[in-house]
Amino acid sequence: MLRATDISLSFGGLKALSKVSVEAAPGAVTGLIGPNGSGKSTLLNVIAGVYVPDEGTVTLNGEPLPLGRPERVAQRGVGRTFQVPKLAHRLTVFQNMLAGEKDHCGETLAGIFLRPGKVARQEREAAERADSILRRLGMAHKANDLAGSLSGGQQKLLTMGMLLMADPAVLLLDEPAAGVNPVLIEQQVEFLKTLRDEGRIVILIEHNMDMIANVCDRVFVLDAGSLIAAGTPADIRADETVIRSYLGQPAVPREQP
Amino acid sequence: MIDFAIYLVTVAAIWSVLAISLNLQFGMTGLVNFGQILPFGIGAYAAGIGASLGYPWWVGAIAAIVFAPLCSLAVVFPTRRLSQDYWALITLAAAEIFRLTMLNTPSVAGGADGVMVPRFGSSTTALVVSLALLAVSFLVAERISRSPFGRMLRVLREDEVLASTLGRNPMRYQASVSMVAWIMGAAAGIAYGHFSGYVAPTSFTVTETFIIWTAVILGGPGRNIGVICGAIIIQVLGVSSRFVAQWVDLPSDLVANLRLALFGLLLVVMFIYRPQGLVPERREVRNAARD
Repeated sequence: MLRATDISLSFGGLKALSKVSVEAAPGAVTGLIGPNGSGKSTLLNVIAGVYVPDEGTVTLNGEPLPLGRPERVAQRGVGRTFQVPKLAHRLTVFQNMLAGEKDHCGETLAGIFLRPGKVARQEREAAERADSILRRLGMAHKANDLAGSLSGGQQKLLTMGMLLMADPAVLLLDEPAAGVNPVLIEQQVEFLKTLRDEGRIVILIEHNMDMIANVCDRVFVLDAGSLIAAGTPADIRADETVIRSYLGQPAVPREQP
Repeated sequence: MIDFAIYLVTVAAIWSVLAISLNLQFGMTGLVNFGQILPFGIGAYAAGIGASLGYPWWVGAIAAIVFAPLCSLAVVFPTRRLSQDYWALITLAAAEIFRLTMLNTPSVAGGADGVMVPRFGSSTTALVVSLALLAVSFLVAERISRSPFGRMLRVLREDEVLASTLGRNPMRYQASVSMVAWIMGAAAGIAYGHFSGYVAPTSFTVTETFIIWTAVILGGPGRNIGVICGAIIIQVLGVSSRFVAQWVDLPSDLVANLRLALFGLLLVVMFIYRPQGLVPERREVRNAARD
């Protein structure tokens, strides 16, 4: 269980988050929705260790996660993607995947000069895993393309693939479907479902309500830095506050079929 | 003629080592070091000061090899919470502080007069030592470049936040690669000291750092063989401009300045038309995935 409890954070005079508490269970996809500027990505950044909150704690399975130390949070098995995908653009897709390998003995000077055999072995294992993840993502044919040459949707898939190299217990996904074509979105939905079935904790920020309704088991709604609702996607869609502040109502009532 | 060839190859080899050391930091890791002449100066001065105190050559050499990486850490750690731009300023300042300290403390190393360093026994010895140093530096840099460590350095170059998202501490990689690069720079400085027989502050100005940069940008940032080509071209241009000065009968200081202007022009042309350098970075290709 991943718990963020009573998180508050201000940037100067701007109250980005006030007393927000969310929790996400393993084997479930937890949605985080809200209007632009409501604090969704900020909350993700607090959990991922990028921002230090003014107050509040983040725990994973009861153990506190280090605040403000993204690399330590990542080492604890928390992977995240960004709204604008972060990749090494001038490296190939395959090299990017290999960079996701955890605790690589070939990433120390002592390792590469003193234990070349061990490094080569781990590199081979990592390459095999990268191959299978790329196949799973339907990107095996892109292995030797430069990451910077991929389309936006493929870049988002690749960042997920890089995270999976480290086999994370928690995935924090920031708008994986934004700007992605419908076919790739379907692929992502299927992929998220398999991640969920593998027992991982998945937190998903998304504006695509169909995707949210399709994959999320529980949804938290933020508005102006506060939590305004939580529940199943169906509950949320019916919630008056959420409709007023975020979902809105059709300008013209839809015709009944 | 053969003496001249030996001289040229020796100089080109020493500057190639410097180019490789800058390539490790800038080309692979994206660290903008505007003071790579500092470890070179530390090496050359250690050789000179060691000799002036009456120690055998290896005492100065070991002192430089130990002191240079420590200095790199002293420069890296204060920049921990700063963005990459500050690297340029801090390394530039560090190199200038070192040069000005040497210039203004005659009791340490002769001030503006510099110190004498015992020369290599013969020009062939200098050649062999310099080429051996280049070979070792090249092999070390290539091993780093092709390893998972080198791959993570490149990830850092592209995006530091990405590296920390993947659970890496950028500082650890930057510190390791800087230490290696500064050891190379110091080794080149030791060789240069014993080769030229004389060490003075004028050899370690910002201009010299700029020449190393020109070699890296020209040759191909991120590619070791490329930056060696860059260093060779720059040294051949530099040396041949002296002959040009004799033929066309221009004052030598004017030619020296024209030479710098030529390097500057080369930089501009490379940035506009071929930013990847003459020998671009290699793309690591995975053989067709087996199904």
